[in-house]
Amino acid sequence: MSRTAAAAAEPSAYVSRRPEWLRLLLRPFSGDAAFPWLAPLIVMLLLFTIYPLIYNIWLSFHEYAPFRRQLEFVGLDNWRTLWQDTRFWGSLGVTFTYFFFVLTVQLVLGMAIALLLDSDEPGFGLLRALLTLTLVIPPAITGMMFLLMQDSEFGVITYILESVGLLDGTQPILSTGSTALIGVMLADIWQWTPFMVLIFLAGLRSLPPEPFEAAMLDGASPFQIFRRITLPLMSKVIAVAVLIRGIDVFRMFDYVFVMTSGGPGTSTYVLSLYAWQQTFSFVKWGYGATISLVSLAIILIVANLFIKLAKVRW
Amino acid sequence: MIVQSTYRRRWRMLAAWGVVALFVFPLYYWITTAFKNARDIFDRPPNVWVFEPTLKNFEEVFGISLGFLRQQEVLPGGGNFYMAPRLWDSIVVAIGSTTLSVMIATLAAYALSRLDFKNRHLFVGWVLSTRMMPPVAVAIPLFFIYKDVGLLDSYTGIILIHAVMNLPLAVLLMKSFFDDIPREIDESAIIDGASRWLIFRRVILPMAKGGIAATAVLCFIFSWTEFVFVLTLTQTGLKTVPVVSSSFVTSTGTAWGNMAALGAAAMIPAFIFILLVQKQLVRGLTLGSLKQ
Repeated sequence: MSRTAAAAAEPSAYVSRRPEWLRLLLRPFSGDAAFPWLAPLIVMLLLFTIYPLIYNIWLSFHEYAPFRRQLEFVGLDNWRTLWQDTRFWGSLGVTFTYFFFVLTVQLVLGMAIALLLDSDEPGFGLLRALLTLTLVIPPAITGMMFLLMQDSEFGVITYILESVGLLDGTQPILSTGSTALIGVMLADIWQWTPFMVLIFLAGLRSLPPEPFEAAMLDGASPFQIFRRITLPLMSKVIAVAVLIRGIDVFRMFDYVFVMTSGGPGTSTYVLSLYAWQQTFSFVKWGYGATISLVSLAIILIVANLFIKLAKVRW
Repeated sequence: MIVQSTYRRRWRMLAAWGVVALFVFPLYYWITTAFKNARDIFDRPPNVWVFEPTLKNFEEVFGISLGFLRQQEVLPGGGNFYMAPRLWDSIVVAIGSTTLSVMIATLAAYALSRLDFKNRHLFVGWVLSTRMMPPVAVAIPLFFIYKDVGLLDSYTGIILIHAVMNLPLAVLLMKSFFDDIPREIDESAIIDGASRWLIFRRVILPMAKGGIAATAVLCFIFSWTEFVFVLTLTQTGLKTVPVVSSSFVTSTGTAWGNMAALGAAAMIPAFIFILLVQKQLVRGLTLGSLKQ
């Protein structure tokens, strides 16, 4: 600290030791102008998000013509196809089913586990640390883990479900239309419920003790305390967790790609996967771009609306 | 009263350990699979606790010899999954993109934390919106853009897009760390005649060291685990670990042991890193919005 103060007190002595080119480079950073500081960020975002976005919109008005081997202008054809494509509407449905189910389970389970782990007793710190481990596993590898555990012949989850009579051994979880999406959700719920737990725990542990003490003196039941005190005090924390998790659940791609590739049939086709496959597997470059634009638009509108309504601030 | 509360405490402890065990089990199962022979992996009912440990899977995946591999053993996938270069790809991409992200983000975060400019709120909104974009919606156009400029299948291409992917996190998180440093320090230094750059370099950066480290760790992890961009923008030149894992699924079967060995090896650095940043984890996961 004393060294920094000394350096701050004698700026000229310090600056003069720099070579000329560096001094020129740093000159824009001496005053109060914000632009030089932001310029690298702006350039990167323009090049890698805004330009691709414009390119994507341009692409949605074109389509690859396999016989002439080139992109051709097709006007609004891709958007018209989209409107009539039952597979697109189906994948939109799958995406929303996945979104609401996974987010709800993670929210409820996350809060329940957080309340359970909210304790100062020895050992609970270790439990919290163990829970963070799932967050850093590549989702693609999580997908593989659950692929192995849900294998119809030697999977451990299959085995447990069969021994308690929930499965009869004739319907593999991930290749049966009615259960495949649940199998994928299981991977997501396993990996990201701890995300909710950790955020809620941090929130719970920073709550002031006074309202709880007062409520206990008044003889409030644990449920009343949770409903009337904990939840309102935690509303900001919950909003942030739901926002960030919601964004990631909506754009989920990795699990379905490695676990089911959208199948069986179209039962696990989420929007991201459908867009990707149209472009790269079925060589419908423009159509894939169109679908990805829809998912982009939905997420930008919904998430920004949520930020406004829930008053989340950065 | 006291007896009852000890009783309840015990139950709570037991329930807590039970729940966490449920979350750790898949991890245990995957890591033990890495040390199993095919015979134990394909056993039915599943062989969870007792098996004959082997390092054979690691030998095959990383091309090393520890004496477990016998020639006559035939793998379901046909053998020969040499993955050491893919681990190297992952390391280069993660370190490269993290460095780039953190450098750009610290500069921008300083401006967002300390300097006033028009529409600052909108600018933060724009950065945040970047975090919302579905990777597929960026990967599709980027594939064609990269093809035109020759960045497809290159370290540079992947490092750049991973850096951009991590920028919203890095910028907002660094901003929250800079916001923690009292503004009076800047102001008194300015009165002493110091330039903004000098304050940034000599005061803010040293004080935010811990925050920068936490940001870097999170950027590293997210690049390390990223899937869509590498899947889309590479062909043969490089592949990171998450993407290359799917190559263990072949028409003759899945080499689960090898896949688990590679997966387990890829998890270790991430586990170490995440345990290092426990204190800043929640702040990081919420992009700096919640402080612990």
